[in-house]
Amino acid sequence: MVTQFIKWEILKLVRSTSYARSLLVGILLVGLGILLLSYVLLMGIALKPIIVQGLEKDDAILFLNSILIYFFLFEIIYRYFVQGLPVLELESLLHLPITKSWIIRFLLIRSFISPLTLIPLLLFSPFAIMEIAGTAGNRAAFSWLALVLLTSWSLHWFMLWFKQRFEDSLIGVFIIFLVFLLGSGSAYFGFYNIGEIFQPIFSLAVESFYPALVMLLVFLGAFFLCYSYYRKHAYLEDLTQDEEIKFANQSLGLFSRFGQVGEMADLEWKLIIRHKKSRSYLTLSAFFLLYGLIFYANPAYQTEEGFSYMFVFVGSFITGIFMLQYGQLFLSWNSGSFDFFLNKKNGLESLVKGKYLLFIAVSAICFLLSVPYVYFGWDILLIHLATFIFNVGIVIHMVIYMALWKPKPMDLNKGGMFNYEGVGVTQFLMVIPLMVAPYIVFLPFALWINDYAGLMALAIVGAVGIFAFNYLAGFSVRRVLNNRYEISSSFRQEL
Amino acid sequence: MIKIEGLKKSYKDVTVLDVPFLEISPSECFGLVGNNGAGKTTLFRIILDLVRATQGHVFFEGEDVSRSETWKSKVGAYLDEHMLLAFLTADEYFDSLRKIYGLSTEDLSQHLDKFKELFNDEILGKKKYIRDLSKGNLKKVGIAAALLGNPATVLLDEPFENLDPSSQNRLKRFILQEKELNKIAFMISSHDLSHVTDICDRIVLLEKGKVIKDLIEKESMVMELNQYFDQ
Repeated sequence: MVTQFIKWEILKLVRSTSYARSLLVGILLVGLGILLLSYVLLMGIALKPIIVQGLEKDDAILFLNSILIYFFLFEIIYRYFVQGLPVLELESLLHLPITKSWIIRFLLIRSFISPLTLIPLLLFSPFAIMEIAGTAGNRAAFSWLALVLLTSWSLHWFMLWFKQRFEDSLIGVFIIFLVFLLGSGSAYFGFYNIGEIFQPIFSLAVESFYPALVMLLVFLGAFFLCYSYYRKHAYLEDLTQDEEIKFANQSLGLFSRFGQVGEMADLEWKLIIRHKKSRSYLTLSAFFLLYGLIFYANPAYQTEEGFSYMFVFVGSFITGIFMLQYGQLFLSWNSGSFDFFLNKKNGLESLVKGKYLLFIAVSAICFLLSVPYVYFGWDILLIHLATFIFNVGIVIHMVIYMALWKPKPMDLNKGGMFNYEGVGVTQFLMVIPLMVAPYIVFLPFALWINDYAGLMALAIVGAVGIFAFNYLAGFSVRRVLNNRYEISSSFRQEL
Repeated sequence: MIKIEGLKKSYKDVTVLDVPFLEISPSECFGLVGNNGAGKTTLFRIILDLVRATQGHVFFEGEDVSRSETWKSKVGAYLDEHMLLAFLTADEYFDSLRKIYGLSTEDLSQHLDKFKELFNDEILGKKKYIRDLSKGNLKKVGIAAALLGNPATVLLDEPFENLDPSSQNRLKRFILQEKELNKIAFMISSHDLSHVTDICDRIVLLEKGKVIKDLIEKESMVMELNQYFDQ
């Protein structure tokens, strides 16, 4: 049965109409993944020298134990954004004589086979083998490593449950932000030190097996929590998203001034707020508005002159995260009703331009909401302004042009259960090339003249982009128009 | 064989299905009719444990369908195309099912031979994914899949919809024949009154989730139904 399922997975992938895109993205991801994992391994090997020589701590084990909790807090956050459950067509299997429990177990175990599972192993096993085994013996090394791995792996099950349970609710984002505050609050403001609080537990693991044993129970408990939750929701009604009309008549008034294009932007806005999957991108934008707090308040990024170059990255993210993430699935959002737009006079052109309008509007809102960061200095406001202009003038065209390559159909009306196609690791990694663009403009001027000249350059290039908007948008519009038969047939086929 | 007790399904405070008691006996051909939104598909889905019942239970041979899953090998069903694996060809799909039901290749080819007439050479041996089939052909694949593995009961939702007239007649003959030869009990929902009255021994009329008529008399069936739908 397992081989049958795996065979199906492969066939589904190979036969999907967006296979070429998936393949390319896949190769890119595998390459990037291997690279990142090898960095993790290198860091694991260098962990002791970093602590002893770099940070000048005498007792490497004690020090590592006192900061381990921060690693797990960080892990919670990255798992929240990156980890997903494999997609499965549950509705085509439920009526067959395969037990639900078998299907769910298959799904869960498959989700466990992931690079995220390897990270703690690569990062901490060299330290356990080289340092702990050396000073405290093999048993100690084993029990310590077991505790660390089981903690991380418990988080895997826990996050699978958590993401689905609090999907599309602000509570989820709120809890994650709380976790985040918990870490940064203790580190930067010094009210308390959670590192110190948890250190004895990890230190105890060097001496006895009990912490690892307790963690094993937690691990099993988290698995069953996850398992029973998914098992209980293996019903058709949880697969289709049947919600009452929320946000009815919530048109964004400002769009009405742009004629048919504005109408399309307004339709798109309704599409976003009425589907879970797309709403999660709005929540993400809200979360990233707070992202600046990590960097701007952090003493590590304070410089004597000008500002940290990292801030350009933060600024681009804060003002552009929505277009960067949502824009990657540019036409996929409309795959269900693409023929509707084909069928209208100037439909496709207004659709594309309407999306442009929407992205610009959301970006502008994010910029305005980020103005209070001026509290951390006028520099921040300037950075946000420059990156905003650059995003709207240049990045927007890059995102859309890239997204138009073999768009993938997507079923918006499926609920999130067993169908988590929202924000995932792919979406995050695809952003990387786009994040390089502002630096290509910024760095030369920043290095040769000064940081503000770099910002000026960003703003000027962005402004040129804005003036050339119609010309640049024309590329994307023509691309959609030229490929319309191909796109619409690929949208009609799959799913 | 199938027994329904105190079944209710509500979404928020709207009750879409309310069936206090219904028993369907073996080798009966049971027809379900009713206008759009009467609750036919919901009833099928609850029987198949695809949707939770708000209240009440469905039993298949004494087993509560929401508690165990052993009944699944004895109940075949085709409600809509989501029940198929769209990325396989029809041949691959049947072969996958064969493995799941634990049948031999002999069994499968014997089974598919019965559908030769219905398939009309448009399904098997074609290099075409299920997702690319026409609606009528999808239905044929689904019906053949539902009957695989010697089920005791087969649930079909609108089996005649989207089929061409000759296929409709072929399907009708096929159902009658299976009922006779293999004692398969069918549960069929349909908007086509002449077809259901032709093949079914018993017809239940649903309106807004409630059973309002339970007809067994072949003679008066047609008249009563026509009367109801003519209003």
